[in-house]
Amino acid sequence: MPRPVTRLMMSLTAMLGSIAVAVSGAAESAKTVSEAFVTNQTGDSLSVVSLSDMKSVAEIAIGGKPAGIAMSPDGKLAYVTSPESKEVVVVDARARKVANRFKVGEAPLGIAAHPTNGRLYVADWFTHSISVVDPGAGKVIAQIPVGESPSGLAVTPDGRLLLSADRDSDQVSIIDTATNARLGTVAVGKRPFGVTIDAGGTRAYTANVASDDMSVIDIAAGKSVGTVAVGHRPYAVALSSGRAFVTNQYAGTVSVVELDGLRVVQTIEVGDHPEGIAIDPSAANIYVACWFDNVLMRIDTAKLAITGEAAVGDGPRAFGLFLR
Amino acid sequence: MVRAVALGLAVLAVFPTLASAHGPTRQKATETVEINAPADKVWAVIGNFQDMSWHPAVAKLEGNGGNDANATRTLTLTSGGTIEEKLIQNDPAKKLYKYEITKVDPKVLPVNNYSSTLSVKGEGDKSTVEWKGAFYRGFMNNDPPPELSDEAAVKAVKGVYRGGLDALKQKVEAGG
Repeated sequence: MPRPVTRLMMSLTAMLGSIAVAVSGAAESAKTVSEAFVTNQTGDSLSVVSLSDMKSVAEIAIGGKPAGIAMSPDGKLAYVTSPESKEVVVVDARARKVANRFKVGEAPLGIAAHPTNGRLYVADWFTHSISVVDPGAGKVIAQIPVGESPSGLAVTPDGRLLLSADRDSDQVSIIDTATNARLGTVAVGKRPFGVTIDAGGTRAYTANVASDDMSVIDIAAGKSVGTVAVGHRPYAVALSSGRAFVTNQYAGTVSVVELDGLRVVQTIEVGDHPEGIAIDPSAANIYVACWFDNVLMRIDTAKLAITGEAAVGDGPRAFGLFLR
Repeated sequence: MVRAVALGLAVLAVFPTLASAHGPTRQKATETVEINAPADKVWAVIGNFQDMSWHPAVAKLEGNGGNDANATRTLTLTSGGTIEEKLIQNDPAKKLYKYEITKVDPKVLPVNNYSSTLSVKGEGDKSTVEWKGAFYRGFMNNDPPPELSDEAAVKAVKGVYRGGLDALKQKVEAGG
């Protein structure tokens, strides 16, 4: 059973109080991206999409029904989870080749890369734990027990904290990356799947599949500070300046949420079963993988309209941060 | 750890539809039929969520909420099993409706987390009906028995679609 969060969080708040203010999104926006790496689950492959012209430029065979994805901080490697073969597959992004693959746990799905320490975190929905992975050595170096069926993972921009959406416990676990100790848990909506942290590292957002809403977490306080109803069966969240974009699988839409006041300002019709969603660092475009229609769609964040789409492989999920 | 896994399985067994399933891989199925009739005429037959009399495998339908979002229906099949379904969205302008299964015994239809769209597009005197679905197999963990495998799920769903669409074509082209 998770321990009560309050006492733990008081020390966490003290620790983070000054740091959270010091971190800004400036470093993020300095980066540019040019490609999307889209995991095609039923297609057993990884599609590489050139973002400038929305064309698929490569399809790399992966195997094991790939779903989750993360990029190395330098953008040179893509890390893919293959739940059926119980592997993490390392892809050389520029060479478009599988560089390494190794076993991780029983059912690896959500994956996140640490911004500085070189480690990967892989959520295992079957063993209810997170594997800490050294991708260079190709092995698991630690296991962190969390709640039931951890799904989405996210690391704060300063690298201090790892958040896990513990889907079947309706909570988010907050983990200290220095010690791999779980600092506490935060109750959210029903069946949180994707979790996304803002550029300042202050708030996190979960897409709650079974309650059709998005929860807002104050990370330092270790508590949920708001909920907003979105579309049917939300999957994941991307954040731009002051807004959240949420993919709704069954509705075939993306909800645009104004974070100040937490209200849905627009609902954009996209393809069937939109899932993985990511924003480019300039915040000009959002990219959405539509699982049923086998496309990656581009949404202009100013116009709130679809401005392009690229055909990808079968069953694109792109669960994680998939732009480089 | 072993105990935690066992508990997890027990929960899955009791609430199979609550698990949003990420062990197995989600499957798709799509079937279409061309009908020699305008889309309006076809939609008049299939567009009511509370009427599945066009499908030969459905013996009885009991429902609530008409064609509004969250309306429900319980289908009793000619084989004797039942399927409980909920309307996600009905869009007569686009001639489509989306629905999901809220309760079904895997022996009746070996799927979990099933959602579907039934639609018709027309061009003059011809139309195309598309029935598509997304679902996980009947067995939510690794190493399923053959009757609850991915292949079994896809085969069963395609069978439902094919049987319905072929009968629909016959019915509409025969005048209704």
